[in-house]
Amino acid sequence: MNTLDDNRAADTSTPPLPNLGPVVIRLMKGVVYRDEQETTWQDLMLLQSQVRDYVQVIGLTLVLDETDGYAYLHQGDSDADGETLPRLMQRRPLSYPVSLLCVLLRKKLVEADVGGEEPRVVLTRDQMADMMRVFLKDQPNEARIVDRIDTYINKVAELGFLRRFKKDTGTFEVRRILKSLVDATWLIQLDEKLEAYLSHAAAD
Amino acid sequence: MEYEYIVGLKKHPAWRLLNADSAPLIISFFHRVFTRENRRTVPSEEMTARLEDTLFHLRRVLGESAYPRSAKAYLDEWSSGEAGYLRKFYPARGEEEVYDLTPASEKVIAWLSTFAPTQFVGTESRLLTIFRLLREMVKEAMVDPEAEIRRLEAEKSRIETELADLKAGHFAPSDRTRIRERFLEARETAHRLLFDFRQIEENFRHLDRQTREKIAVSDASKGQLLDDIFGEQDAINGSDQGKSFRAFWQYIMSPVSQEELETLLTQVLALPEIEDLDEGDRLGRIRFQLIDAGERVNQTCAQLVEQLRKYLDDQAWLENRRIMEIIRKIEKKAVQVRETVPPESDFAHLTHVKPDIGLPMARGLFQPSARITVDDRVEMGSGHMETDILYRQQVVDEKILRQRIRSMLKGHSQTTLARICEQYPVEKGMSEILAYLHLACKDDNAMVNSDVSVPIFYRDQNGRTLKAIMPEVIFVR
Repeated sequence: MNTLDDNRAADTSTPPLPNLGPVVIRLMKGVVYRDEQETTWQDLMLLQSQVRDYVQVIGLTLVLDETDGYAYLHQGDSDADGETLPRLMQRRPLSYPVSLLCVLLRKKLVEADVGGEEPRVVLTRDQMADMMRVFLKDQPNEARIVDRIDTYINKVAELGFLRRFKKDTGTFEVRRILKSLVDATWLIQLDEKLEAYLSHAAAD
Repeated sequence: MEYEYIVGLKKHPAWRLLNADSAPLIISFFHRVFTRENRRTVPSEEMTARLEDTLFHLRRVLGESAYPRSAKAYLDEWSSGEAGYLRKFYPARGEEEVYDLTPASEKVIAWLSTFAPTQFVGTESRLLTIFRLLREMVKEAMVDPEAEIRRLEAEKSRIETELADLKAGHFAPSDRTRIRERFLEARETAHRLLFDFRQIEENFRHLDRQTREKIAVSDASKGQLLDDIFGEQDAINGSDQGKSFRAFWQYIMSPVSQEELETLLTQVLALPEIEDLDEGDRLGRIRFQLIDAGERVNQTCAQLVEQLRKYLDDQAWLENRRIMEIIRKIEKKAVQVRETVPPESDFAHLTHVKPDIGLPMARGLFQPSARITVDDRVEMGSGHMETDILYRQQVVDEKILRQRIRSMLKGHSQTTLARICEQYPVEKGMSEILAYLHLACKDDNAMVNSDVSVPIFYRDQNGRTLKAIMPEVIFVR
């Protein structure tokens, strides 16, 4: 449809590959998003296989989602030879309410996928507080609950699953990377953990 | 128009809008913001500010008690599901929500504007249009080759007579009324086309919804379902709406027809007969507006197909179902532990997405912060200093502006200054707008068309919305 672009693509001979270093360093520093680091993203698209080879040495794999536009490094449990490498990526502890908030946000993403219409999931602090309140103990002091929910939201934002809008600090976009980290396996583990906790409580 | 159909229509948002107590406010406001300025979307902040102004004005005229609620409350109500006069959504980029008219409100505005008395009703040009359409249909369908030959022969002899007349030096003087009539009709058709794009977009969205619903309620086997699904994938592009739109898009994007349209428009707009008719050069801008509107539909369409594809991806579909199942289980348990929430701070773990490399020795040692002593005695003296610096507080960084232009051009092959300012609201006032103009003059891929003026809205430090009338600036990739 766009003839202008086609012509241009035909004109250019293959350009020299960009440097590998900056791309790997950016990935080491955290998630690379297409809409935030466009140049790094483009370089990454060209250097995909080089990056994979490079990080494989230290037991990391590149996770890349082209449709949703994010990429990050992931450490599996063991490398190809079955030899266990020391852990490079730390596992971050999550408290119960924070993990619950992750679950609820994951649910919102599924609902948005099924419902169509809006490609982005945008939630306000109050909406998230309403989502959470059902699962938290009632307290006479309403303000305290909201304050606590605020700290949970901050924690999830720190994990990179929520992006705070600059102009309006009470509004957040749920980042799609949540989908690949909070996956079915993780959710099952959480469910089992809760089950164990429940039966433990019943035994007391 | 059966009785039941009309009864059903009473639930239609358009009917409700006409019945609403505040219909005069809503419709006149929408007309001013969207229709008169030919805008497709308006950012929520601008919308609120302008409604606030309108309400202020109305209260002054009608008394303080008129329209007691705040602009935001009204906008929320109008864009809520029950009212459905406005669509409010986050664009693919940016942090500000935008408003768009729903096709229903569009219809109301279009219908109400037919009540206004027109200068005259062009009957001849419309009759000729009917003839032309019929002729084209016969030609396309090629009913009878014999008849077609006869028709072409007749045409040929007509053209020959005309040629002979012209060569002999006879030409009929142009008829002012006929030209004006045609001009009005062309303009009306062009605008109707422009507004129909809203309906087209809505139609595409409706198709998408239908497909999703079909998938959701289907209880066919997985293989059968996938078959249906991939068959449906073409539903959007293969529908009459999709085909017609594609043909339109190919036609308007072809350089030949673009050039023709431009030449024709320039010639027509230079005619003395229509000088007083084209207020605000509305027909002159139609080319860009059509491309613009078409591009929006294209984007929506691409987005819908992409989302649908994602949704149809069988893995995602199964995964989504499975995830919902687990989440429901977790929720049930979470309600049970509500009163005794697990206290541990490491209830679950998530692998971090970046290696934590800490180099303790790389950190600087403690340094006591230097104590600053403030001597606040003021002594009289004399001296000379540059006061210019006080007036040069507003620094516009051209690099940022260039980046914005570039990123706007990523999604479109061309963009205008007005659209850039819509996406990236002007922060530094007039100097920023002038800096864009300066960039456009330096850039070979940009053109400044001083024949067309475009309003650009921006806010000053006090939050007032200001309007700058600028020449049209177009940046091309």
